[in-house]
Amino acid sequence: MLKNVFGGSTEQKVIDDIRKHIHTLSSAADCFKKGLEEWDKDQMYCVSDLEREGDSIRREIISTIYEGAFLPFLRTNICRYVEIVDEAFDVLKDAAFEFNYLGPELEEEIREDCIRIAGINKEMCEMLAIAFDTLFNKGDLREKTLAIRIYEKKVDDIKFELISKLRKKEVKDFWEGRILSDFIAYLTHISDVIEDASDYLHIMNLSMR
Amino acid sequence: MKVDEIMTKKLETIEANASIYDAIERMIDKRIRSLLVKPRDENDVYGVITVRDIVFKVLAKNLNLNTTKVGEITSKPLVCIDKGVDVEYAVNLMTKFNITRVFICDGKEIMGIISLLDVMSSELIKRAREEHGA
Repeated sequence: MLKNVFGGSTEQKVIDDIRKHIHTLSSAADCFKKGLEEWDKDQMYCVSDLEREGDSIRREIISTIYEGAFLPFLRTNICRYVEIVDEAFDVLKDAAFEFNYLGPELEEEIREDCIRIAGINKEMCEMLAIAFDTLFNKGDLREKTLAIRIYEKKVDDIKFELISKLRKKEVKDFWEGRILSDFIAYLTHISDVIEDASDYLHIMNLSMR
Repeated sequence: MKVDEIMTKKLETIEANASIYDAIERMIDKRIRSLLVKPRDENDVYGVITVRDIVFKVLAKNLNLNTTKVGEITSKPLVCIDKGVDVEYAVNLMTKFNITRVFICDGKEIMGIISLLDVMSSELIKRAREEHGA
């Protein structure tokens, strides 16, 4: 839809950059999952590298928009969408940061749940990219946003289980408990932010009708 | 799509001699709609108790929740399928036996469960991805 109405070169640049932004988020989520699976703290540094790359793409998108891409009434929604995706990067980076301070190992059950959540987060990012592309073809955006909500519900269910397990876990000191609690909180918040971004896609779609 | 790709691996179990009240409490705490009932002895088999069983067989008949035992309303044997089976086959079984969940078994071991909600969710995700060629 966007492409038909706003086919200019600056608009196309913004669209390409937004696409690149989401794909970078997917790569960061994938990298996070691999780091978690292998329990490799060095591998996690790729998350902050990709987050920096995401930041630079976001700045580029916002600048191009305020240089005149898109009609003014659309700019706020597009910028807000990009900022929400950027928030997902930040939460992912925070989770990766806390991971670095986690102990050498975690109970198998808790670790498995964390990996499952990281996997769903990655799939949600991919679905967000698909949903964004739907704005430019005849696909059904509603179907994609529903898929994102299903993913989010799955994360919520695992989170519920995970929290009850954590409450039974004995912690040695304040920081051990705090770091684990923050890690889980960030890990499970990513899906909420991606869901918010998909809701914003829906708003963008409506505003262009 | 194969059933093991969408099955839930976490299975909540309960003893056959536990009270219905215990079962209700467990279901509410865990936000689930069924529990796997453990065999009473070596000669017994696993069974399942669902919210539907509790409502129709206990609450509707005004039976005592504390004295009625899970084993009294357990459905057994379980409807089991192999992990490599297509989801479509599981759905056919659900239709045939008018049930909403099927267990995934490997010999005597119960590996997971798929419910109608799992089938619906995975099908919607699959459609959303397929249309895009992902």
